[in-house]
Amino acid sequence: MNYQNPHITETANVLHQRFDTLAAKADILKAPELRALYAEIPTLPTDERSAFGQELNQLKQELIGLIESHQEQAEVLRPIDVTAPFDINVPADRRPALLSSEVGSRHPLMTERDQILDIFYRMGFNASQSREIDDDYHMFGALNFPEGHPARDDYDTFMTEQTAENGKRYIAPAHTSTMQNRLLRQYAANLEQGKPIAVVVPDRVFRNEDLDARHEHTFYQVEGIYVDKGVTVGQLMATLKTFLQEYYQQELDVKTQPFYFPFTEPSFEFAMSCPFCKKQGCNVCSYSGWIELLGCGMIHPNVLRAADIDPNIYTGFAWGCGLDRLVMMKHGIEDVRHFESGKLEFLRQFK
Amino acid sequence: MKVSVNQIKYYQELYTWSENPAPDGVAKLVERIGAQLAGVEETIEVGKKYAGIIIAKVIECHGHENSDHLSICKIDDGGVAADVERDADGHVQVVCGAPNVRAGLTVAWLPPDSTVPSSYDSDPFVLSVRDIRGEVSNGMLASPKELVLGDSHDGILEIDEDVAPGTMFADKYNLTDDVVIDMENKMFTHRPDCFGMLGIAREIAGIQGQKFTSPEWYRADAGIAAPEQSQLRLEIRNELPELVPRFTAVPMAGVKIGQSPVWLQVELSRLGFRPINNIVDLTNYYMLLTGQPLHAYDYDKVVAQDSSEEGSADHATLVVRHPRDGEKLTLLNGKEIEPRGESILIATANKSIGLGGVMGGGDTEIDNDTTNIILESASFDMYSIRRTSMTHGIFTDAVTRFNKGQSPLQTMAVLARIVSDVERIAGGRVASVAVDDNHLPQEIQDSSSLHEPVAVSVDFINRRLGLSLTTGEIVSLLQNVEFRVEQDEGTDSLHITAPFWRTDIEIAEDIVEEVGRLYGFDTLPLALPKRDLAPATKDPMLDMKTRVRNALSRAGANEVLNYSFVHGNLLDRVGQDKTLAYKLSNALSPDLQYYRMSLTPSLLDKVHANIKAGYDEFALFEMGKSHFLPQQDDPVTPAQEVPSEMEWLAVVFAANPKAAANHVGAAYYQAQKYLMTLLEDLGIADKVQIIPYDPDSYVGSTKLKTAQYEVSRTAAIVVPGYCLGEIGEYRSAVRKSLKLPEYTAGFELDLSLLQELSQQVAPGYQKLSRFPKVRQDITLRVVAALPYQTLHDFVQGNLSSQLPAGDVLSVSALDIYQRAEDADYKQITFRLSITSYDKTMTDTEVGVMLDALAAAAGGALSAERI
Repeated sequence: MNYQNPHITETANVLHQRFDTLAAKADILKAPELRALYAEIPTLPTDERSAFGQELNQLKQELIGLIESHQEQAEVLRPIDVTAPFDINVPADRRPALLSSEVGSRHPLMTERDQILDIFYRMGFNASQSREIDDDYHMFGALNFPEGHPARDDYDTFMTEQTAENGKRYIAPAHTSTMQNRLLRQYAANLEQGKPIAVVVPDRVFRNEDLDARHEHTFYQVEGIYVDKGVTVGQLMATLKTFLQEYYQQELDVKTQPFYFPFTEPSFEFAMSCPFCKKQGCNVCSYSGWIELLGCGMIHPNVLRAADIDPNIYTGFAWGCGLDRLVMMKHGIEDVRHFESGKLEFLRQFK
Repeated sequence: MKVSVNQIKYYQELYTWSENPAPDGVAKLVERIGAQLAGVEETIEVGKKYAGIIIAKVIECHGHENSDHLSICKIDDGGVAADVERDADGHVQVVCGAPNVRAGLTVAWLPPDSTVPSSYDSDPFVLSVRDIRGEVSNGMLASPKELVLGDSHDGILEIDEDVAPGTMFADKYNLTDDVVIDMENKMFTHRPDCFGMLGIAREIAGIQGQKFTSPEWYRADAGIAAPEQSQLRLEIRNELPELVPRFTAVPMAGVKIGQSPVWLQVELSRLGFRPINNIVDLTNYYMLLTGQPLHAYDYDKVVAQDSSEEGSADHATLVVRHPRDGEKLTLLNGKEIEPRGESILIATANKSIGLGGVMGGGDTEIDNDTTNIILESASFDMYSIRRTSMTHGIFTDAVTRFNKGQSPLQTMAVLARIVSDVERIAGGRVASVAVDDNHLPQEIQDSSSLHEPVAVSVDFINRRLGLSLTTGEIVSLLQNVEFRVEQDEGTDSLHITAPFWRTDIEIAEDIVEEVGRLYGFDTLPLALPKRDLAPATKDPMLDMKTRVRNALSRAGANEVLNYSFVHGNLLDRVGQDKTLAYKLSNALSPDLQYYRMSLTPSLLDKVHANIKAGYDEFALFEMGKSHFLPQQDDPVTPAQEVPSEMEWLAVVFAANPKAAANHVGAAYYQAQKYLMTLLEDLGIADKVQIIPYDPDSYVGSTKLKTAQYEVSRTAAIVVPGYCLGEIGEYRSAVRKSLKLPEYTAGFELDLSLLQELSQQVAPGYQKLSRFPKVRQDITLRVVAALPYQTLHDFVQGNLSSQLPAGDVLSVSALDIYQRAEDADYKQITFRLSITSYDKTMTDTEVGVMLDALAAAAGGALSAERI
């Protein structure tokens, strides 16, 4: 540390050297040089006293810090034999034991993901994970977002300071669609064998948003893509409807609203009749009888082309559905921030 | 985007462009819009505000005896108001305080029981019969502000047309039952035409199967007739034809600035626009109608910018250019900005006067003394407008429209239309030939469409939609919204040319969408794709995570999800080097600075809060990804296009002092218990070894993850050739900074390796033997430093070699003990369990084996049997 006052600087250097030689480190605070400095204060002109006093205090704090850090280093733990199954001299009834399985819990988002996956597996979909750091090409370029396109701004993406070789920042994906190009390529061989590409991606995504009870910057989506010859809008809606009916174990009505996504054409917002009130109106559906659930559409030919799939032969559909909201609706969870809070009071309610 | 149902009806009558827009009522219309056009945010019943207001004529007006400013008026309401007191002539008395009230004026009368429109939404003020200083007043005469027609409260509204007294105000101004439908803009990202009522009206017709015809002036673009004499010269210099493909403008002379006619004020007000003056109001009105933003300059002020002491300029010059270095501009809102370098400026020869397509400048603004104006209708590059708007934080109605890319093919038609209204309403006349600075490719100008015709077959459309529409049905759906459709003779292939206002029709899929939407996607037949019986394959990692989740939750642990990003402080606290982490450049929250490089720090970060919340002991676990910058001394540096991601499982066990009192020994073993339970559950416990942690064997990114561990109480978890992870307690500095209890330990494992290992599990079943299992214990005394595992492996190995092949042996620790007076040694008691399949083993046989074991251990490990 640097001090303005030459006396203090000089003393600090002396004391530092002595500290290393001291057996009882705390004795450094009793050093006569330090006391001498304190004695100097009353002899100083009034206007200098305050600055001098402050610096002197700083020095004292620095020495206290030295003592503390030394004590930390000095705390030597009793060595243990890490290869043993329990510590030495521990009676049999006091050895490590598991907590009761009653207090164990699975995260509700993950339990739900497993359930949703199970339905899609049964429907014939493969599954894949997404990425947490990706490049501009997969997040936007391969998905038919032209450079400078305003739709890019609708995705408030986290970017890194580090850049890829092309000079563009890496991105924390704001949608699981960031996996579309990779999955289309990975499963392109299916098409040659006369089979569809059918994959779901249930994973974590990010939006650079301020947190509140309804907004998380970190959340989960379930992406789905399906490509084959002769895929239609009617099949898209039937697939989503079938999934939702299986998930909610009841008959549902569905409806769409035109929407715009660069990577689907046409694009829709997809709504289902409220499964909690059977369209009678309740607080989950804001008394509308309908719940807007997800965005979907027919995969844009440029997206297929970007994966070397001929859009003249093959067509497909894709959707992206928020997982957090499904779980919140199911359990009546009031605040989305609970999910990543790590609070046991929340977590232990979900076996 | 807001539209008024009544306005659409009015134009439908005026231009006979379609049938009734709401044949089944507004509610049905709103439903259809939702299904086929855009999400409806709300419907506003603006008509209700004006119920009961009557247009009346002031017959007589004289001062109030007890007031210096009030007037007593007798008004003629045509006798329509019920239950009001009338004089012998049938007139009604109203007291009015407005300075402009006078006999002969046509006014808006709010009779008793009517509500003041401006108070309608907040705190409704209902009028009554009142005594005002000894005179009866039946309701009141309304000011423009009270009628929500701008801010003016200086006097009452003067109705500027000859309207028969007794006409309902709402009827006169087309407000009766009017509903404004507010649609979500986000649907119209690619539909600049839908930012004008004309476009919305066309879509509303189209989705209801009605044929729509745009007004002649919009379709035909007749241009602006040049005046016989050129009065005011205008010169346009466009230096940015790439960004401003078309710039049309015309000077007009002899304009009289004033209030807009009441009808125009009403048209703007119902959509939430504030009337300002007749010229500004007309530019807004045509923007709302067509989506084309317009701008009006004071011609003389433009000229004045180029005038100096040496003399005044003889004509107005508008230059379209980028800003010069350090150039500043004062906008209409009074703010001075330094426009971004690539923005589009509108300037005179000498001076910038506006931020093109974003906001005009204050220096050339229209004011009450303006007599000559320039009207501009131009087309600006949507991306440039967007960036300028974002850079300067200016979000105007013009930006909302220009940043969707208004069609440059409509600029002149809209300009011509507003010019004719300026002539009619503000008395101006065209002062010189209109300038059309047009840089559009000739073929676009000729074809009057922004894109080439799209060739698509009826079959293609039907296949994509899963429909079987006839050619005629498809053609009429498209023609309803003014597409040009040509059909090849004898084939089903169509050549479709989008109308000039459509910027979004380029490929066959766009036509499919158009047909599907106009037909109604919600009426498509639903059918699942057909599939074969091949099972879907599960994702191995997702599957692994499910297994781990189930195993650990059964073991009483709690699954946690933490953010993928952490604060730099946390990395400091655990001793991880921040410079190795990917850093976020734009996070809104300071808690999200770095991608995490391992999961343990975020788990440790959750310990203290839970202890404080009253949980004495718990085990937290998380599965997730880690990222760190590639490092030179990394054992593996895969060349990849994107940063590599690793999957981890982290577990932390913590107990506060109260709970820790029940655990004897180091917390490390509690973590190890969880580790072994998991490995056993996965069937790989016997493949994995726990060996003392050697910090020096760690390099690169592997070193990074172990920064938090206390070396003396940490072990590596290994399989031959790989390190799965580490397990241990945390350095006291880490514990202190994160307020962890002393009894805290955990581990972090490479989930991918774990997953691979769990794929290679052999069945662990042991056949049941007809012969009893033999159990015996043996206690060996060894030097304290000898690792337990070494002795265990020796015992296991020695006994296995003595047993016939096929017998099953298990060796487990029963006790590990150290006498206080014998601190250099420890003694370990093993329990042996032997299963033989061909005989009953006797104690003697086992005794012989144990003797042999003891002798061998004495030789190899200096062990002594106790």
